[in-house]
Amino acid sequence: MSLLIHCPICGRRNGYEFRYGGEDKGAYPAGRSLTPEAWYEYVHANTCSAGVVAEWWCHRHGCGLWFTIFRDTRTNRQVLEHGGRS
Amino acid sequence: MFGAKHILPKGNPPLESAYDAVLIGGGLHNLATAWFLAKEHNMNRVAVLEKNYIGYGGAGRNTAIVRANQRTQKNIPLYKEALDLWPVLTRELDFNLMFYNCGNLNLLHSEAAVKAARTNIATAKFLGVESHLLDAAETAKRVPALNLSQKITHPIHGAMYHPPGGIVRHDAVVWGLAKGAAEKGVHIHQQTEALGIATKNGRVTGVKTPAGTIYTPRVLVSAGGYTAGLLYHMLKIKMPISVLTIQAMVTQPLKPLLDHVVSSGAYHVYANQTLKGEIATGAHMDPWPNYTTQTTAGYIKHQAEALVELMPCLAGVKFMRSWAGLADMTPDMAPIMDGNDPVEGVYMNCGWGYFGFKSCSATGRYMARFLATGKCPDRLKPFALARFKNHRLMGETAALVNYTPDN
Ligand SMILES: Cc1cc2nc3c(=O)[nH]c(=O)nc-3n(C[C@H](O)[C@H](O)[C@H](O)COP(=O)(O)OP(=O)(O)OC[C@H]3O[C@@H](n4cnc5c(N)ncnc54)[C@H](O)[C@@H]3O)c2cc1C
Ligand SMILES: [Zn+2]
Repeated sequence: MSLLIHCPICGRRNGYEFRYGGEDKGAYPAGRSLTPEAWYEYVHANTCSAGVVAEWWCHRHGCGLWFTIFRDTRTNRQVLEHGGRS
Repeated sequence: MFGAKHILPKGNPPLESAYDAVLIGGGLHNLATAWFLAKEHNMNRVAVLEKNYIGYGGAGRNTAIVRANQRTQKNIPLYKEALDLWPVLTRELDFNLMFYNCGNLNLLHSEAAVKAARTNIATAKFLGVESHLLDAAETAKRVPALNLSQKITHPIHGAMYHPPGGIVRHDAVVWGLAKGAAEKGVHIHQQTEALGIATKNGRVTGVKTPAGTIYTPRVLVSAGGYTAGLLYHMLKIKMPISVLTIQAMVTQPLKPLLDHVVSSGAYHVYANQTLKGEIATGAHMDPWPNYTTQTTAGYIKHQAEALVELMPCLAGVKFMRSWAGLADMTPDMAPIMDGNDPVEGVYMNCGWGYFGFKSCSATGRYMARFLATGKCPDRLKPFALARFKNHRLMGETAALVNYTPDN
């Protein structure tokens, strides 16, 4: 399955150099007010959208950076936020 | 397949404006649920909505393996009931489901794997499921084609042997259940996509389709790998699921040489010989979620290498076809069956990953009971979505399966 990902540091690289890190859930929900429900949302709950999804990726076999990209899960292509070609 | 042109018993039904229950997805679980709703609960004002054709999803793409030697006490009884139902359904549906209980051999390649298998075998036996530990010589006696050499990447130490499992012809299950349900009056609507679920005051009122809204007090979303996406899209319910493409392939037909389902975690491969003689094999999931259902050359190479190491006589045999489908994976490798939470009248049955064929018979029966009575049957209670919110995951896998930064 082919996938090219644009790393902010290294540029466009083969997707197999990267580690998928889940749907982008925003900031780490630390703090005293953290409920079991909110922690569930953060670690387990996904939209599973068939379409453009904001995702975390890590350039594991490269520079090691964590960053967010948009990817269309139907075509397996990195896209711009609104779905256009990146 | 019953394509658009092939007519179900009683013909293609008219889309009524109201039903007692609407089931979204024309896969095995909903067809089984529809059959049991009609048969055991006298409910036949039931519609199954299928976007493509019945059997389009995992129902027609799986490798047909059935077994009941899972890991936890919550799972095994459900799978055992499902296994016991194949001969019963064959009779009741008057349709040959081609259940071939050749037995499953789960190959063990290390002392640690043997130790883990001992626990699984003890659990299975405790719950009345036949399961044995075989040493390497006993394993090779069952399948002489296996390579007992110590020089392969992962030498075979033995196997977990589960005699009552095997394979069932998956298409026959689709056809048999659809025929049975349609004969009892269930309306199977192919090429009919569910677009949305209408609710009012926390209760379901209907299902939106291109032909208008169907009114109903009960909706079951059980559309295989599509379920989690549909639940979010239609009701903003987020599921603890990752949807991945999973691949399988078959070789050219061969004379009988493999009369067990053989699987190996270390080689990341499983194989069985179909009744047509093909070696059906698979196991690879993509490393990131996607709905492409595309196959990859790299994986075909991996399969060939692994199979030839395990069974050298397969060297030179050609793959005829490869294909892929969706696996909706939960972090604890157990499914999610729930209902009336958070929306009254909305039920869900999903998270079956790459193991939802073997369970469809028993699950359909319990989901039918759930829909008919509104009360969750005891057998299904451990599978509620709330287990994730309460952080009480099931131990079906020794380590958490998670497509997140943790691993
Ligand atoms: C390659 C592969 C190998 C597998 N091997 C095995 C195995 O050996 N043993 C085993 O137990 N399991 C196996 N599985 C898993 C099993 O096939 C699935 O868990 C099971 O088929 C899913 O349940 P289902 O049949 O009810 O759904 P599916 O057959 O997946 O049905 C979903 C249906 O919903 C329809 N749909 C989607 N969206 C909509 C909508 N909006 N409106 C209406 N309809 C919609 C789709 O068109 C599809 O037909 C395998 C799966 C794959 C892909
Ligand atoms: Zn980089």
